[in-house]
Amino acid sequence: MNKTLLLACALLLAVLGIISCGKDPNGGGTPGPDLAVDRKALLTQWADSLVKPGYQRFNDKLVALKAKTTAFTAAPTPATLVEARQAWQAAYVEWQKVELYEFGPAEQVSLRNHFNIYPADAAGINANITRVTYDFEVATAIPQQGFPALDYLLNGIASGDAAIAQQYASSAGHRRYLTDVVAKMEQTFGTVYSQWNGSYRDTFVGNTGTDASSSLSRVINAYSLYFERYLRAGKVGIPAGTMSGVPRPEKIEAYYIKGSLPLQLATTAHTTVQQFFNGRAGQPSLKSYLNALGAKDSRTNQPLADIINAQLGVSYLQLSSLGPDLYTTVTARNADAVASYNEMQKAVRMIKVDMTSALGITVTYVDNDGD
Amino acid sequence: MAGRTLQRYLHSLTLAAPLATFRVAFGLLVLASVVRFWAKGWIAELYLQPKFFFSYYGFGWVRPLGPYTYALFAVCGLCALLVALGYWYRAAIAGLFLSFTYIELMDKSTYLNHYYFVSLVALLLMVLPAGRYFSLDARLNPARWRNEVPRWAVDALRLLMGIVYCYAGLAKLNSDWLVHAMPLRIWLPAKNDLPLIGPLLGQLWVAYAFSWFGALYDLTVPFFLLNRRTRPWAYVTVVVFHVLTAVLFPIGMFPYVMMVAALIFFPADWHERLLQRLRRLLRLAPATDQVPVPLVYGPATRQLLLLGLGAFFVVQLLLPFRYLLYPHELFWTEEGYRFSWRVMLMEKMGQVQFKVVDSQTKRAQLVNNYEHLSVLQEKMMSTQPDMMVQFAHYLRDYYARRGVHSPQVYADAYVSLNGRLGKSFIDPTVDLARITDDLRPKPWILPFDDEITGL
Repeated sequence: MNKTLLLACALLLAVLGIISCGKDPNGGGTPGPDLAVDRKALLTQWADSLVKPGYQRFNDKLVALKAKTTAFTAAPTPATLVEARQAWQAAYVEWQKVELYEFGPAEQVSLRNHFNIYPADAAGINANITRVTYDFEVATAIPQQGFPALDYLLNGIASGDAAIAQQYASSAGHRRYLTDVVAKMEQTFGTVYSQWNGSYRDTFVGNTGTDASSSLSRVINAYSLYFERYLRAGKVGIPAGTMSGVPRPEKIEAYYIKGSLPLQLATTAHTTVQQFFNGRAGQPSLKSYLNALGAKDSRTNQPLADIINAQLGVSYLQLSSLGPDLYTTVTARNADAVASYNEMQKAVRMIKVDMTSALGITVTYVDNDGD
Repeated sequence: MAGRTLQRYLHSLTLAAPLATFRVAFGLLVLASVVRFWAKGWIAELYLQPKFFFSYYGFGWVRPLGPYTYALFAVCGLCALLVALGYWYRAAIAGLFLSFTYIELMDKSTYLNHYYFVSLVALLLMVLPAGRYFSLDARLNPARWRNEVPRWAVDALRLLMGIVYCYAGLAKLNSDWLVHAMPLRIWLPAKNDLPLIGPLLGQLWVAYAFSWFGALYDLTVPFFLLNRRTRPWAYVTVVVFHVLTAVLFPIGMFPYVMMVAALIFFPADWHERLLQRLRRLLRLAPATDQVPVPLVYGPATRQLLLLGLGAFFVVQLLLPFRYLLYPHELFWTEEGYRFSWRVMLMEKMGQVQFKVVDSQTKRAQLVNNYEHLSVLQEKMMSTQPDMMVQFAHYLRDYYARRGVHSPQVYADAYVSLNGRLGKSFIDPTVDLARITDDLRPKPWILPFDDEITGL
């Protein structure tokens, strides 16, 4: 009895296998996953060639920013103001190349909350300027610090460079707040930077698993969250009104300076996202990892990495067409801005769904028996 | 002739020991499950923090109890302990079944096949005489003590185990699993940093070997466990198989539940020896006078029990096949997917963007799912159409309260299944606010544009 059943089952399996193998032309010939699927090498590359050098370059800009704002507060003139503003712009652009690394130490201190949550809370900033003490760690203080606060402090506090410089010359409160904002940025980033230069680098590289707490999972989570929420929605979607139905140009990044900077920040961020995906030629990257896994669309056999790159290319073109001034574009050519959002959304989905799925990483800690 | 064999079978007796060890082990495992769940902070994360819960069809009234949810888990754990001790057994097992099932029904995003299995076993144990031997009840009230029970009472548990394994095996007989080694060819390389077996897991042939062995194992292991000669080896494979799945996949208590439950296939005297050892370990009086005291049901009770069990198993045999009543690919639509022992069959991921439109002003706004749902809920919803409808109804009511005129809710969903590039999942022009949430086929699920052959 048992033997007959067993035999029947085995036969059934064998027959099914043979039938379906006959139907599948590339079942046997596909190159399988190989030893190139090496997460340790990938994490090492990210740590030593992307995160640490990126943070180092940003640190340089932050040091320069501090020097120029100190010079400005020491002697507030239109000339020192322009120099401080240029240092702020340079640092803001450089920030776009590291904001996506919100994992590990950066996640711990909520680096982004201290650096780039906009629109700036102008009323709150003004209130702080008149206050004796304020706490940059409370939730309400998030839009009162970082680059958006500096945007307001250096560009929006009065109209014209002469008036702005005059404001600082006449008000100790303004000088102190500007100094404190920069000092807070320096301090917060300093803890992140020193951890990466210290023991965290090895912790990161050594956590080679794929569960929810692994380095790969944390990176991918931060990467797709950044693309979806802070690039797609924050820089374009929300100002273009895709979330609320009404264009809100006053919600763009670098609102007080306007001009070409907001779009430059957005395209820099987009380029960073694509470069992070592709890495350097011949070095481990998400692209090479996906290719080593053999990830492809099983309907068309196109490599997933190519599909993602093509979409990122389309998305970049659409985004860079929003110039010269993003502030006017989101209202004047709203359809173009919405189209840019939509192209980014397509890329976000490929990264959040197709890539994450192919990587086999876990996103929650809760038990799961297979979707 | 067959009728007489059946009658003889239904009247035959066996030692009560297998039911007793099963009861003890089951009670302790559920207790451990509850403690683990609590310790990981999942009660708050899954049942207190979310603002919205995905109830099962017809069970909308089952909701988390706020802070009293902790009490519910405490009751469940206490009942599990009492079941293990065999103290107030009937009340305890009924309490366990009700509290555990209530917990599982609170939110379908936490659905796991082994939770369903625990509920079913508890239901069975409510009617099986598992509290008559090696229990506090029998010790305190020796008149209730029985050391022999009808054989069918033990076999009912074996049959349930057999169904779980065989149906899990049948579900693997499809082209994705056998021909493409999906989803194991995605999941295994992700574990290639494990010691010893890691380097192997990156090899494609290993994914195929695991797939085929897994299917063969599920389909045949109950039969090997039934056979006296193959049983020890079969149990070794049970342990190896489930330990491997515990190492490779985040499936929680499932492997341990199955490893322990499979002991029911061992013969009655093996269980008796196990209990003897346990008595010695616990310094209990050894059972000396083993005069057979069989449990004999009155004819009416017996009839009722057997009919009930029969109905239970007919449902168990048919329920997993209900997917045949739906027209499209099961893995894609998931219509009739749950409660069918389909375990670890799909790598499915999705993203869904909801849009709420004011039907008077036509103003549209997009929804941030994370403002309303937990990470787990959002992940589960983004691939399951019935949950999308439920969430759409929640959004309809939510935005209506905030002044949107009879809100229309549209969803733009993108889903990838077993390595296929993601595609649009549901019709983005269908107003989900007006779709009723029921068990009928959902015509607004877009075509899969591919084929998975097999069962």
